[in-house]
Amino acid sequence: MLPLLADLEPKSFWNGFNGSLPLKVFLIGALVLGAVVLLAILRVPARLRRPVVAIFTFVSGFYYVLLWLWPTPIARDPKDAAVGLKENVSFFLADAQPVVANFSNILSGFLLGLGVFSLLRIHGRKVMKRQTDWGFSFVLLASMFAMILFGYWDFWIRQSPTGARLPFAPGDGWGPAQYGKDLLFDGFLQQMDATMFSLIAFFILSAAYRAFRARSLEATVLLLAALIVVLSLTGLIVQGWDSGVGALAGNNPDSFLMNFRLTDISKWLRDTVQTPSIRGLDFGIGIGLLAMSLRLWLSLERLEGDA
Amino acid sequence: MNEFGDQYRDTGWFGILLVVILVAFLLFNIWRARGGKDLFIRRIPGLNSLEEAVGRATELGKPVVMVPGISDPINAKAMQAINIFSYVTRIAARFANPILFCCGGASVYTVSQEIIRDVYQQEGLIDRYDMDSVRFISDRQFAFAAGVAGLILREQAAACFFMGEFYAESLIFAETANSVGAIQVASSTEITQTPFFIAACDYVLIGDEFYAASAYLTRQPVLVGSLVGQDWCKIALATFAIFGVIWNTCGVHGTTTETFADGKFKPVKAPRQGWVDDSLLTRLFKPSPDPDVKIQRPQLSADDLPKPVKDGGS
Amino acid sequence: MSKPTKEFNLGNLLQAFPRRGLFLLLFLAATLPLFTTVTLPNKPWDDSIDFYKNLVALQPGDKVLIGSDWTLGTRAESGGEFEALIRILIRRQVKFALYSTGDVQAPLVARDAIATIAKDEAANGQKLYKPFEDYVICGFFPNSEGETLAINNNVRGAFSGRKDYPENGPPQDVLQSPVFQGIRKISDFKYLVLVTPSNTERITFQRVKDTKLMFMVTGVMFVEDHNYYASGQLKGLIGGVKGVFDLETIMSKGYESIPPLPGKNEPGRGTKYYPALHACLGLLLLAVIAGNVGMWLSRKGVKS
Repeated sequence: MLPLLADLEPKSFWNGFNGSLPLKVFLIGALVLGAVVLLAILRVPARLRRPVVAIFTFVSGFYYVLLWLWPTPIARDPKDAAVGLKENVSFFLADAQPVVANFSNILSGFLLGLGVFSLLRIHGRKVMKRQTDWGFSFVLLASMFAMILFGYWDFWIRQSPTGARLPFAPGDGWGPAQYGKDLLFDGFLQQMDATMFSLIAFFILSAAYRAFRARSLEATVLLLAALIVVLSLTGLIVQGWDSGVGALAGNNPDSFLMNFRLTDISKWLRDTVQTPSIRGLDFGIGIGLLAMSLRLWLSLERLEGDA
Repeated sequence: MNEFGDQYRDTGWFGILLVVILVAFLLFNIWRARGGKDLFIRRIPGLNSLEEAVGRATELGKPVVMVPGISDPINAKAMQAINIFSYVTRIAARFANPILFCCGGASVYTVSQEIIRDVYQQEGLIDRYDMDSVRFISDRQFAFAAGVAGLILREQAAACFFMGEFYAESLIFAETANSVGAIQVASSTEITQTPFFIAACDYVLIGDEFYAASAYLTRQPVLVGSLVGQDWCKIALATFAIFGVIWNTCGVHGTTTETFADGKFKPVKAPRQGWVDDSLLTRLFKPSPDPDVKIQRPQLSADDLPKPVKDGGS
Repeated sequence: MSKPTKEFNLGNLLQAFPRRGLFLLLFLAATLPLFTTVTLPNKPWDDSIDFYKNLVALQPGDKVLIGSDWTLGTRAESGGEFEALIRILIRRQVKFALYSTGDVQAPLVARDAIATIAKDEAANGQKLYKPFEDYVICGFFPNSEGETLAINNNVRGAFSGRKDYPENGPPQDVLQSPVFQGIRKISDFKYLVLVTPSNTERITFQRVKDTKLMFMVTGVMFVEDHNYYASGQLKGLIGGVKGVFDLETIMSKGYESIPPLPGKNEPGRGTKYYPALHACLGLLLLAVIAGNVGMWLSRKGVKS
C-alpha cells in the first residue's frame, strides 16, 4: 500500500503523521467533516448560496495568490528550521504546495466519473432503443469496457510481488491481461491517435489551397511572407538560393547582398515581424486572462446562467 | 540577510509591483463602470454574426454545434467560452433550434450542463431543454476531435462555434464544418491555432477579442469596466516597451569589465562593450538569485527529519 | 434547343482542383520519399545549435529533469526529438528523471521509447541504461499548473510517494533512486528539458524559474516559443521535423566548430522524414501558386 502522506522535506504539518494511527484518524475526521459541510451547504437558503460559493472560490484561489505574493524562502536547505513569522508562513506555504496541487487531482478523478456517466447514459440509450447509428455507440461502449477491464487487470497483476517484475515490453511472464492491454493501447489507441493527427496534413493543404489567394494588397504581402517561410524550411532550396546570392556577392561575408540570403530574410521575418507581433498578441491575451481570472476569483463575473 | 526586503529582491519585486498596478487598473475601472457610465466598445464582426448564424441554422432546421475547447480541468478560458455559448444558447432556445454542446473535459461538462439548463429555465423554455444536448465526448485530444467531427458530419450542423482552448485538432473541426457548409465562428486562445481558424472559418475572434466577447454581448457594467481596465493595462505595457526601447537605444553601452550572470557580477575575460543583458532594465525583468547565498538558520534535529519510505508503506 | 457547352477554362480548373485529387497527391508526396535514402543539405538554426551545445557540455554524473508530454500521435516530431535527446544523454552518461503533466499515456510511451533506445545504444558499445538506476519515471500528474509549480518550489515534495519499477524488481520510491541522490531543489538538475506538443510548455515556462529551460516542441509551436529563446529565457529550442533534422545533422556531422557526437549515429526520424517534408512543402507551394494563377486567369477572362 502506498504511504498516504509520504516523504516530504522537511518534516512539517503535512507529513507529521506519516503512515500512523493519527493519520487514519485525521482522514476519517476529514471525511466526516466533509459530509457535514456538504449537508450544511445543501440546507443553505437559495439567497445565501451565491455568497457561500463566493467564499469558497475566494479561499481556494487565495492560497495561490498568497503563495505568489509572500516572499519565497531563499537558500533553503531541507534541514533548515524557520525563523520568525515571515519564514514560518513562507515555509508552510511552500510545503503545502504539493498537497494543495493534489486537491485538483482528486477532484479530476471524481469528475471523470461524471463524464463516464454521461457517455453511458447517451450511448446506452441509443443501443437499448436501437436508435440511428446505434452501432457506433455499441463500439464505443465495448471499447470503453474492454480498456477498463484489461487496464485494471494488468494493473492488479503488477501490484503483486511477482507481477511487479513483469517487463513493460512483450516478454517472459506476459499473459492475456498484458497482451490485451498492449493490443488495445499500443495496437489501437496510439495508432488511431497518430491517424487523426495525420489528417491535419491533408486539411492544411486543402485550407491553404483555398485560402491563400492574393485578393488584396495585404493578402499578397501575407502570401509572399508565407512563401518565404515555407521555402526556408526546405534545405535544398535554401542551399541553392544562399549559394546563388553568395556567388553574386563574390562570397564576401561583409557584402550588403548577403542580407538577401534566404536564411537571413526568413530570420528577419521571424525575429523582426513575427516575434513582436506574437508578443503583442500574447500581452493582450495575458491581460484578458488576468482580468477574467480576477473576476472569477472575486466572483464579480455574473454568468449568463445566473439569475 | 533575512530581512523582508532582501527576500523580495530575490523573488523580483518589480514583477509583483507591476502586476499589482495592473490589477489596480482593472478593479478601479470595474468600480468606475458600476457608476453607470456608458463606455464605448468597437465593433467585433465575429460577435455580430452570432445571431445571424443561429438564424441560418433555424431556417435550415439543423442543429447548432458549440465546442468550448479541450480545457481539462476547467479554467478561465473554458469559463469564458461557456459564457459566450450561454448567450448563443439563449438565442437558439428562443428560435427552438436544437443545440449540441460538446465537452472535452468532465469538469467542463459538469459546469456547462448546469449553466445551459439555467439558461433554458430563465427563458421559461425548460421544456425545450434536452439533457443530451450537452454531452461529454472524451478528454483525449484526438478522440474528442474524432467524436466532434463525426457529430458534425452526421448531424449536418448548420452553424458551428469553436471558442476556447484549441490545439492541433482545431483544423480538423474547421475543415469538417466547412465540408458540410456550416457557418463558423471561432476563436482560439492559442496564437498558433488562430491562422488555421482564419484560413477555414467565416469569422474569427483574434487574441483578446475572445475575452472582450462577454462585455460586448451583455454590456454588463462589471465586464465593460474590466475591458476598459484591460485597455489601461495594455497602454501601460506599451509605455514600458517604448521606454525600454528608448533606454536601451540611448543607454550608454560603454566599455564594461563585468557582467551580471546567475545572480551576481562576474568579471569578463577582457573589457568589452556593454550588452543589453548587462543593463539594469533587463535585470529588473529577469531577476536571478545568487546561487551561492547562504543563510544561517537553526537546523532541524534528526528525529524531526522524515525517514526514508519503506517498500509497501507502513 | 441545344444545351450550351461548357468551355474548358484553365483558370477555373486551377482554382477548383478536386479535393480528393489534392489528397492523393499529398499521400504520394508524403510516402514515396520514405522509400528513398536521399540526404538533403541542411543549415541548422541557432536555436538547435544552442540546444545541442548545452547538452553536450554536460558532464558524466550530471542530472537532467525531463518533462515528456508526447504520445505516438506526434511521433514524427516529438518522437524524433525525444530519441535524439535520450541518445545524447546516454552518451554523455547523464542521469535523468522523467515526469508528465500533459497526457496520461505519455509516461508509458516514454518508457517504451527509452527501453528501445537504451538497448540500441548498448548494442553500439554504450553503457546499458537501466530503469531506476540511470533513469527514473515519476509518472503522470493531472493538475499541470499545480504540479509544475510544486516541481519548481519543492521538487522532492512534488515527486514524493511516486514509485517506479527497477529492472526485475518491485516498485520503489523514486526519491530513493540514484537519480535523486543529491537533488534537494530543482536547481540541482542542470536543465529541465520539456518535450511536448501541448500547452504544458506555456505552463512550465510560467512556473519554473529556478533552473535552466530547454524545449522540444512541434513545428507549429516553434513560432511562439522562439520568442522566449530570442529573449534568452530558453537556453535552447528544437522545433518540428526541421529541428530534429538539425539535431541529427549536428550529432552525425558536427557543425562549424562543433564536433559530432562520439558513437554510432544512425539516421533518425528527422533524417528519414525530412525528404518527405520537402515533397509535401513543395506540393503546398505548387497548390498555392496554382490557385493564384487560376484566380488571375479567371479575372483576365472575365475582363476580356
